[in-house]
Amino acid sequence: MSADDQVLVGRSITKRFGGLVALNDVSIEVPKRSIVGLVGPNGAGKSTLFGCLSGLTRPEGGSVMLNGRDVTRTKPQKRARLGMARTFQQPELFTGLTVREHIVLAHRVRFERRRLWSDMVGPRSIMKPPASETEAVDAIIELLEIERLASMPVTALPLGSTRLVEVARALACAPDVLLLDEPLSGLDVNESEALARALVKVVTEAERDLSLLLVEHDVATVLAISKKIYVLDFGQLIASGTPDEIRSSDIVRAAYLGDDAVSETAAD
Amino acid sequence: MVQYIIAGLVLGGIYAISSSGLVVTYESSGILNFAFGSIAFFIARLYYFLNIQHNMGITVSAVLSLVVAAPALGILLYFALFRFLRLSSSLVKVVATLGLSVALPAVATTLFGNISILVAPGLAPQPVHVFMVAGVPITMDQVIVYISVILTVVVGGLVLRFTEVGLRVRAMVDSPAMTSLSGTNPVRVSVGVWAVSTFFAGLAGILAAPIIGLDSQHFTLLVAAAFAAVVAARLRSIPIAVMVSFAMGIATSLIQYYLPSSSVWTSRMITAVPFLFIAIFLVYNLILRRDLSDSTKVGSALDAAIEPHGQGVLESSEAAVLDASMGFIARYSGPIVVAIIAMVLPFLMSGVWLTLLVQAYALGIVFLAITLVTGEGGMIWLCQITFAGIGGLWTAQLATDYHWPVLLAVLAGGLIALPVGLLVGFLTIRLGGLYVALITLTFALLMESLYFTQGRFSNGGLGVNVLRPSFATSDRAFAYVCLFVFILVALFVVNLRRSTTGMALDAVRSSEPGARTLGISVVQMKIVVAGLAALLAGIGGGMLVVAQTAAQPVNYSTFLGVVWLAVVVSIGIRSSIAALVAGITFLVFPQLVTTYLPTAWSQIPVILFGLGAIGVAKFPQGTVEQNGEKFRRILLKQAKKRSDKKELALTSPQGEAT
Ligand SMILES: Nc1ncnc2c1ncn2[C@@H]1O[C@H](COP(=O)(O)OP(=O)(O)OP(=O)(O)O)[C@@H](O)[C@H]1O
Ligand SMILES: [Mg+2]
Repeated sequence: MSADDQVLVGRSITKRFGGLVALNDVSIEVPKRSIVGLVGPNGAGKSTLFGCLSGLTRPEGGSVMLNGRDVTRTKPQKRARLGMARTFQQPELFTGLTVREHIVLAHRVRFERRRLWSDMVGPRSIMKPPASETEAVDAIIELLEIERLASMPVTALPLGSTRLVEVARALACAPDVLLLDEPLSGLDVNESEALARALVKVVTEAERDLSLLLVEHDVATVLAISKKIYVLDFGQLIASGTPDEIRSSDIVRAAYLGDDAVSETAAD
Repeated sequence: MVQYIIAGLVLGGIYAISSSGLVVTYESSGILNFAFGSIAFFIARLYYFLNIQHNMGITVSAVLSLVVAAPALGILLYFALFRFLRLSSSLVKVVATLGLSVALPAVATTLFGNISILVAPGLAPQPVHVFMVAGVPITMDQVIVYISVILTVVVGGLVLRFTEVGLRVRAMVDSPAMTSLSGTNPVRVSVGVWAVSTFFAGLAGILAAPIIGLDSQHFTLLVAAAFAAVVAARLRSIPIAVMVSFAMGIATSLIQYYLPSSSVWTSRMITAVPFLFIAIFLVYNLILRRDLSDSTKVGSALDAAIEPHGQGVLESSEAAVLDASMGFIARYSGPIVVAIIAMVLPFLMSGVWLTLLVQAYALGIVFLAITLVTGEGGMIWLCQITFAGIGGLWTAQLATDYHWPVLLAVLAGGLIALPVGLLVGFLTIRLGGLYVALITLTFALLMESLYFTQGRFSNGGLGVNVLRPSFATSDRAFAYVCLFVFILVALFVVNLRRSTTGMALDAVRSSEPGARTLGISVVQMKIVVAGLAALLAGIGGGMLVVAQTAAQPVNYSTFLGVVWLAVVVSIGIRSSIAALVAGITFLVFPQLVTTYLPTAWSQIPVILFGLGAIGVAKFPQGTVEQNGEKFRRILLKQAKKRSDKKELALTSPQGEAT
């Protein structure tokens, strides 16, 4: 596969916390319009890798390419504008805003950036928002089935719902690649299935050009929806490949997956 | 020369005791105690009360104040205040301890008498014995300071590092929940830490009193120096804090040695020393691009999980649900009522009350700047009074000395404050909330002692007179001018809050990582808000000067600014109406007390302002929000009742029909 087909590439990323090597020479590629899984036991370095890719954490070595452009030294807010969005394992929501406002803000930052400043002096805050915005925001709310929550302040939500809000906010940025850090944890079985379906749908939808990099402990789901999977352990990339390859990999089995998990997923 | 160095070491030693006390408490409780200086003053004042006013012996007084009263005060404060603060936001922590620092000196004055103290004795018997060591005189007081420093710093450091107690204290830093799992009682450890901390404060206070004078203003300076050391120590390293403390003490002495003692520059330079050290530190960090966040998230996930959610969060979310389900009238009923009252008041009042009301409306504008920078921007700036001062003093200069039209001068005053705000913002914006609070506090002190003391402003102590605009010379007319400006600014702030800018500010305030990965530049947002707030504070300061018809530099003391913040936060940091109510409260309430209550009660307003700020620990939203919510809830209930009745009326006939 040529470099043009990759929306996000991390090359030889190394990150240390004092003596601890959280990431050791990790390389990862996310092709366009696809779902890529990233799995590994607790403390493997998955969230740290997200930090390095999104620019919030500065790695000691390695580089990051976004849409063929070197963004290694680029700030997170610039990377966001260039098409990267992410969610957080510990939700990082805005305590004063409702669910809908989260999506609206993300939409405006992406598509009507000027309003960040011009609204301060203009009367637009009491005017009706433009139809295109309402449409886009409603579409995301519908996709994630959170109509019920839309007018709620986020401080009133249970953990599972806050994950949905994180995903909704990230989708509203209309990114090319979206990094999801354990979006399913805290959701019940039904919600979890619904979100997985929605994620598959946004990637296959024709009008979006979206890829997902998905960190998830629910390995069955990851194996089911990902095109390619990376396995991290103690900061090392120990395996990568298609779901089938991962299922049958002995290293992965030994390092991470219980035998049960493997046979279960192989069965379905 | 040697003598000066010895004196410098004494001063540095006192700074060292203070700064290491601050660091230890910060390390073990996550709270930077802004009231440290006030506690020091309180205990030193108690010592004076016992020793001089009641003629008790030195030993008895020292034991009573240091060994009995100081730890008792610490334990009391722990149970009354500090234990609620552990998982609060930085703002709440800073404001609550600032509230304490406002209230304590006033309590001391009320308890121990309002007398002017010229000389305060130390722990050495009078007359102070002087030793000659190698031809250099050293006083007994100085010897006592050295011994105390060695005991606190060395012994304290060793205890903390190598003993069981130290281990427990350090474990607390990471997680009280874990500590309690391992069988140590975290409450007992915390109580111990606060008792020791107030003991250090008291010791520093009693030792410092003979050198700097027993006056709460001077104690603020002592703490400014200690804060500078704490900043340089990056809030954590005791050895660095101690070293910087000594360096500042010696620097101060050398200035006294090299500069003529009669020059005004000597005293100005001395007050500037802490800020110079902070400036060096800031520039050093800017160059190295070191990340200076004060991980305010103290405690582990376990702590957060077992700690019940702050009441404020739940209540505010309830309120938001209410808001969402409410009509326009219900939502804005509060502001409308207050606006109407504010318009009627100038007609109802006269004389001194009306004069105060005019100033209250002008002060409301300054308070809106605090609302903007702290309430919306989430930045804990303690120097808004400095911008008000710049605006006010320059308004007077331009209007009187340069004969500008006075309202134009007010605007220009604001515009002069603006770049100063941008500069402070630029220097501090990447820092964590506590650093910002510390640095803006020392900046305010610096401006107060270096810039505002210029002859052109003080005009020989008379200040500069200002004439009101010719169309509004009476108090009543100018009250409406102030109210008009206030409403303009309030509308701007309200619009900003509701706009995309306001949403983005909320994002920046509640989660920087969240905001940045969305594409919002935290630095840009904060700088703009900082600049705007400085502009508004400058304009408010200008209006205040015109309301008072004179500009006096002494009106802009840093300490007063802290009281301002305390009042605004306790009434409501996120509400424009609260800014107006705070302005009125701040000016009218003390006058009520002095008019109707005996003089012994004169400190009551300050104590209450301080207590109000301390109350923020329990009610982070402030009283206006709190009561506004209750009010709205009642309205909503009524509305619900009405609609329920309607439904009943509609459904019951149907029920009969079937
Ligand atoms: N800021 C930090 N400072 C020090 N160590 C850190 C920091 N962040 C992460 N680590 C360490 O780096 C390692 C990798 O952490 P990371 O959070 O990336 O793991 P993870 O794979 O996301 O785990 P989980 O599945 O539990 O979320 C862990 O050992 C963690 O303790
Ligand atoms: Mg993680």
